[in-house]
Amino acid sequence: MATTEATTFSRGPMIAITALRILVGWHFFYEGLTKLTAPSWSAAGFLKQAKGPFAGSFHAMAARPDLLANTDLVTMWLLTLVGACLILGLFTRLASLGGLAFLLMVYLAAPPWIGYFYAIPAEGSYLIVNKNLIEVAALVVIMLTGSGRFAGVDRILSGLFRRTPRLATA
Amino acid sequence: MADENDKKKAQPPSAAGGPPKLDRRDLLMGLSTVPALGLFGYAWSRQQQYRSGKEAAAATAPAAAAGLQEINVALLGAGAQGQVLMEAMLRIPGLRFRAVCDIWTDYNQKRVVNTLKRFKQEPNGYEDYREMLDKEKQLDAVIIATPDFWHAQHAIDCLKAGKHVYCEKEMSNTLEGARSMVLAQRETGKLLQIGHQRRSNPRYIHAYTKLLGEAKLLGRIVTVNGQWNRAVTPDLGAPERYAIPAEKLKQYGFKDMHQFRNWRWYKGKGGGPIVDLGSHQIDIYSWFLGANPSGVMASGGQLYHDPQTHEWYDTAMVVYDYDTALGPAKAFYQTQTTNGSQGYYESFMGDQGTLLISESEVNYPGVLFRDPNAPAWDEWVQKGYVSAPKEAEVKEKSDSGAVADVRESVAPDQHTVPVSLRDPYHQPHLQNFFNAVRGQGTLNCPAEIGYETAVAVLKVNEAIEAKNRLAFTPGEFKI
Repeated sequence: MATTEATTFSRGPMIAITALRILVGWHFFYEGLTKLTAPSWSAAGFLKQAKGPFAGSFHAMAARPDLLANTDLVTMWLLTLVGACLILGLFTRLASLGGLAFLLMVYLAAPPWIGYFYAIPAEGSYLIVNKNLIEVAALVVIMLTGSGRFAGVDRILSGLFRRTPRLATA
Repeated sequence: MADENDKKKAQPPSAAGGPPKLDRRDLLMGLSTVPALGLFGYAWSRQQQYRSGKEAAAATAPAAAAGLQEINVALLGAGAQGQVLMEAMLRIPGLRFRAVCDIWTDYNQKRVVNTLKRFKQEPNGYEDYREMLDKEKQLDAVIIATPDFWHAQHAIDCLKAGKHVYCEKEMSNTLEGARSMVLAQRETGKLLQIGHQRRSNPRYIHAYTKLLGEAKLLGRIVTVNGQWNRAVTPDLGAPERYAIPAEKLKQYGFKDMHQFRNWRWYKGKGGGPIVDLGSHQIDIYSWFLGANPSGVMASGGQLYHDPQTHEWYDTAMVVYDYDTALGPAKAFYQTQTTNGSQGYYESFMGDQGTLLISESEVNYPGVLFRDPNAPAWDEWVQKGYVSAPKEAEVKEKSDSGAVADVRESVAPDQHTVPVSLRDPYHQPHLQNFFNAVRGQGTLNCPAEIGYETAVAVLKVNEAIEAKNRLAFTPGEFKI
């Protein structure tokens, strides 16, 4: 695949999407680093409050110390790594996919659906759509437009490991 | 240039088959977002600096910067408990340590003075507290952490010298001592706070005002039980080369270094474990039940330790009778010093729920069980008074496979008390005292309350001796 085949948009929109990618990455990165450096952060509180169709699995995760320890570890490192990758434009598609899968889980753990209310106070008001879902949508855009190949380390990688363009050999 | 793609597509196909082509533009664009990471790093480090700066400022803030009136304090008694209080006080802004007084000049006193110097404090060391009161005219407050049998004289002399006093519990080892402290406080009009520090602990305050007071989650409390189990602790020992001369020990009421170090075990000096440990928790019983006990039965003795070196009962099991506003209640308390298993806690059991609470942030830091028949607690969960429930698993079999008896009660939902204390345990109580010194707020454990608790607790040792139920008269708690 040619380096820039993924960049299907013109320069202006690509810059905007890259900016979006950096902002989302920044958010992930900070969330991850904060949890990593906090002395005793755990997802337990969040998981215990889970509601919705998958509440059972989330509660189970919180209840078993061994599962919880792994969940905490994976969450902290996933957020940090996804964040760093998004900022750098490194493995952008994989990072976006990881990020959006994680966010979807977070969304489903506390879905703002009709009839759902939470004891943890939210900073805004949400019905079906919340900021997690919007960030999921942003990551879909980032993933599909491959903004890392426009401005990001992916551009260098794909340059280095580029195979012969098919057009030229076919 | 309209489009990145155009440019790329315009490259001659000669690149095909050759080594991968990476032009300068690719490199620039490829690294173009790295500065964002740099910017993040900058923001992160600034924020960390800000945070640690704030913490450091809070720890050692000079009073002027905090806009506070500086309080000149002295520490009277620089042993283990004095050092605990000093460490908590170093985290409170607006204090100036002027003096440290301890008869163990070469060891405790020196150590505390040196520690304080590291925190830019310049306290003078004293052996005799009267000399300290004579010379340190600017003192506003004295923190007393001497052995119990010295409390009354120290507190009264400090109050009469015009100082506010924070005195460790037990208020005194005798009721006469405690009573004269209350009278001296009234006479001088100075503040006298007694060190039952749970009275200022945010979790206990939350439990008292919100859970019991406003939400009445327990319904009517009928039984209480609590304990402080402590493992065998060795003789505290004393380094030979720092031994205090015999005549000086005698002058201050100790027969030898062993008694000076282990005074808590000696009659006439301390009150034994029921006083050292139990008094904190029995204080909570009366606070939460809103009453003083009407009677006490107790059994205890010197079951384990050598009676020569441990004159007080190493084990005590106590039952108090209470007549609360809602009806009679019984409160059990146990303290023993031979096994530390299951530590310390207080458990209040009402007809609608149970509160299991302790000062520890690690063990029993606040759990509530809702009785299955009690009204729902959703409102209090919504308000954040208690956490969302962890529903009890329905167990039909034990872990070993034995079938549960059908007569077992349905297990109640479990909630946690969502309040914890990140500071040293004594800090809020000291803070409460210094706020009151500044005229902001009132004491959480004034002399009268300390006295009521002393009456309830000291009676236990009498009851053990009497091998009989002893009644309290309501007038007994008043002065």
